[in-house]
Amino acid sequence: MPRYAMAIDLAACVGCAACAVACKLENEVPAGVDRLWIRLEERGTFPDLAMQYRPEQCLHCAEPPCVPVCPTGASHVTADGLVLVDAETCIACGACIAACPYDARYFDPRGFVGKCTFCEHRIVQGQLPACVETCPTLCRTFGDLDDPESDVSRAIRAARRVDVLKPEQGTRPKLVYLNTPARFGLAAEGALP
Amino acid sequence: MTGAAASITTFYGAPNSAAFWHWPTLLHFVLVAVAGGVALLVAYRALSGARFTWRLPALALALIVLDLGVLWGESLARWRLTHVYLFLSFQPASAIWWGAWGLAGSAALTALLALGWGPRRGWGALLLVTSSLALLYPGLVLAANAARPLWTPLLLVFMPVTGLLIAWGLALLLGQRDLGVAVGALALAGAALGGLYLAGLAAGPGGARAALEHLWHEAGVWFALALAAMLVSPALLRRYPAVAALLAVAGAVLARSLLVEIGQVMGPPF
Repeated sequence: MPRYAMAIDLAACVGCAACAVACKLENEVPAGVDRLWIRLEERGTFPDLAMQYRPEQCLHCAEPPCVPVCPTGASHVTADGLVLVDAETCIACGACIAACPYDARYFDPRGFVGKCTFCEHRIVQGQLPACVETCPTLCRTFGDLDDPESDVSRAIRAARRVDVLKPEQGTRPKLVYLNTPARFGLAAEGALP
Repeated sequence: MTGAAASITTFYGAPNSAAFWHWPTLLHFVLVAVAGGVALLVAYRALSGARFTWRLPALALALIVLDLGVLWGESLARWRLTHVYLFLSFQPASAIWWGAWGLAGSAALTALLALGWGPRRGWGALLLVTSSLALLYPGLVLAANAARPLWTPLLLVFMPVTGLLIAWGLALLLGQRDLGVAVGALALAGAALGGLYLAGLAAGPGGARAALEHLWHEAGVWFALALAAMLVSPALLRRYPAVAALLAVAGAVLARSLLVEIGQVMGPPF
């Protein structure tokens, strides 16, 4: 089975939010909540000023804290490493929302918890996630982490620097950030799943 | 941008960082304590061979039904009837799964005890287990969230102690006079654990200290008042048992509710 992962090259992201719009449309995400958002950070004082766009979403952790807390098994990890919610068995208790360190889950008004699925419905048809396909700067790569020739594996190998969000949480995210500017250093390397 | 060093964060879209549990969940965290605590009292009475009428187990059952009704009413999934999967799945790593079985078991056992059917001591022993689950599970639910610094492992003890205090304090108000000493002890334990909780945050890493500052900023005075109410109440038990019980219950309800409400914050930064 593949082990799906995504990499986002922060040196190439221009914060256009095309990925966020594509996600919203593709997945019919309700108003008021987001599966994907762009964080814009500005640091420093003129003339020593830096700025960074960072798209954020569910990281499909290898050790997801949101899964074991689910009382019905609706939150689960698929054989190919996707962290998903089965809407049919979700009771919308919010335990997974509380457990997620990345604020990536939300209550869908239709009565279950929603989150990024890496567009599983597209993956099974051999397509890329909507955010990856839409990105005009090609800063997003997606694929099988166990395949050394996949786009994501090659992008990670070629990167000057690889970071994950909140490595101290021990979640081993499968969404990684490449080439983070030094002053926005997220974390030490070596936290890859 | 000139002048002072700056760090500004803005968003296109937004992380889902707003509070996810609102007042009905806070109410549930109180009601489950009352229901579990009264059910535990029923179990104790049944095991000790003490005389009690159908009213006490019926009260426990009514409280459980009320609590489950609040949970159902506030759930976004209430019309989808997915709650049945709580009992069709096996999820022992989930505190809520244990809590569901604790409440369902307690409901069945208190019904049997109220009706006077079957072995009273046997049901009492089982009820001891299921009501304990109902009391323990809120602390387990909160302490499982490592990313939320105000929900520390100390809540594993603080929540059942204050839960039992609320239930038995109310029972004392309703005339269960023999619970006076227990209520006093629980109130002291609740205040001490609250102090320990604050000390633990103050002595913890940067994230814990920032969380403590956040708690203080949001509701520090109220939390201090809640702990003070629990601390003072044992001193009033002998002369003014009703006032003492009221103070203890109010302090415990306030402290629990503040921790659930404010503890939802992710941190740092706040």
